[in-house]
Amino acid sequence: MGLYGPPNGGKTTLANRICEDWLGETMGSVSRIAHETREIQIKEQIVVKSGNKELMFNLVDTPGIATKIDFEDFMKSGMKKEEAKKRAKEATKGVISSIKWLDEMDAVVVVLDSTKDPYSQVNITIVGNLAARNIPVLIAANKVDLKKSNIEGVKEAFPQYDVIGISAKYGNQLEDFYAALFKLLD
Amino acid sequence: MPHQCVRCGTMYGDGDKAILEGCKECGAKLFFFIKKSHVEESKKFTDNLSKKEKAEIEKDVLDLVGAKLEEEKPVVLDFESIRVLKPGKYEIDLVHLFKKEPLVYKISEGKYIIDLPEVFKKKD
Repeated sequence: MGLYGPPNGGKTTLANRICEDWLGETMGSVSRIAHETREIQIKEQIVVKSGNKELMFNLVDTPGIATKIDFEDFMKSGMKKEEAKKRAKEATKGVISSIKWLDEMDAVVVVLDSTKDPYSQVNITIVGNLAARNIPVLIAANKVDLKKSNIEGVKEAFPQYDVIGISAKYGNQLEDFYAALFKLLD
Repeated sequence: MPHQCVRCGTMYGDGDKAILEGCKECGAKLFFFIKKSHVEESKKFTDNLSKKEKAEIEKDVLDLVGAKLEEEKPVVLDFESIRVLKPGKYEIDLVHLFKKEPLVYKISEGKYIIDLPEVFKKKD
C-alpha cells in the first residue's frame, strides 16, 4: 500500500503513526520544509488488527509529487544555497521515483492537507491516474486539528472516493482510518 | 526536431553529425531535444544563463537521469517532462511523466533509442 500526495501533506507523519501503532517504531523523518522525503521508504509486513480481523501489508512512503521545485523556496526556510539546490535536485528525482513505483501498488492512500485547496493540478493528476490504473484509492484529509481544515471541501472535490479526516500528528480519527483501510484492502 | 547543446546552448538541426560526434563549439555530447515550437523560447532561456550555471545544469541533469559523465556516447534529453529553468529550479510536467512517455533518448553509433517507458515498469 502506497502513501501518495503533494509535499507536506503529512505522508511520512501518517506512515510514522501507522508504524508506531502496529510495529512500535517510526519510518522516516518529518520537517516543516517541503520535500523532506526524497526517496521511497518501505516497511514490510505491517499487521493491522480490528476485532478478530487482521490485515497485513507492506507500507510504501513516497516523496511528494510536485510540478515545480525551486531551491529558493527552501532558502526562505533558512537553508543554505548549495543545500537547497541539492534538495531541489533530489526532490525532482523523488517525483520521478514516486511515479515509477505506482505500478507496484495494490492500493493507495492519497494524503492531502485539508487546509489547502483540494483542486490542485497535483491532486487531480494523482487521483486521475490512480483511477485510470484501477488502483483502489482512499483519501486521507489530514491536519483536521488545524482551524483552517475543510474536510467537506475535500469530499466535494473527490465525491467518488472514501474521504477520511485525520490528524496524523495527534492521532485523531485513526480508528476510522484503519476501518477504511480494511474496506480498501479487503 | 532541433537539438540544443546543454553546455553551451548551440542549436543543431535534426540529424546533425554534431549530435553523434559532439558539439562543434564545446565538444559536449549532452543535448536537449527541443520541439520546433519551443526553439525561440529555449534560445532565450539559455542565453540568460552563465557558463557556470550551464555547467551546473549539465551535471544536475546527468545525475537526474542517471547517465554517467565519462560515457563517450552522446546523450539526448527529452525535457518535455522535466525542465531545468536554472540550477535548482525544476518544472515537472506530471501529465507527461504519468503517461510514461520517454524521458530520455540515448543515441549512439547510428540511431539507438532506449525506451524508458519499459524501464519505468521495473523497480530500481
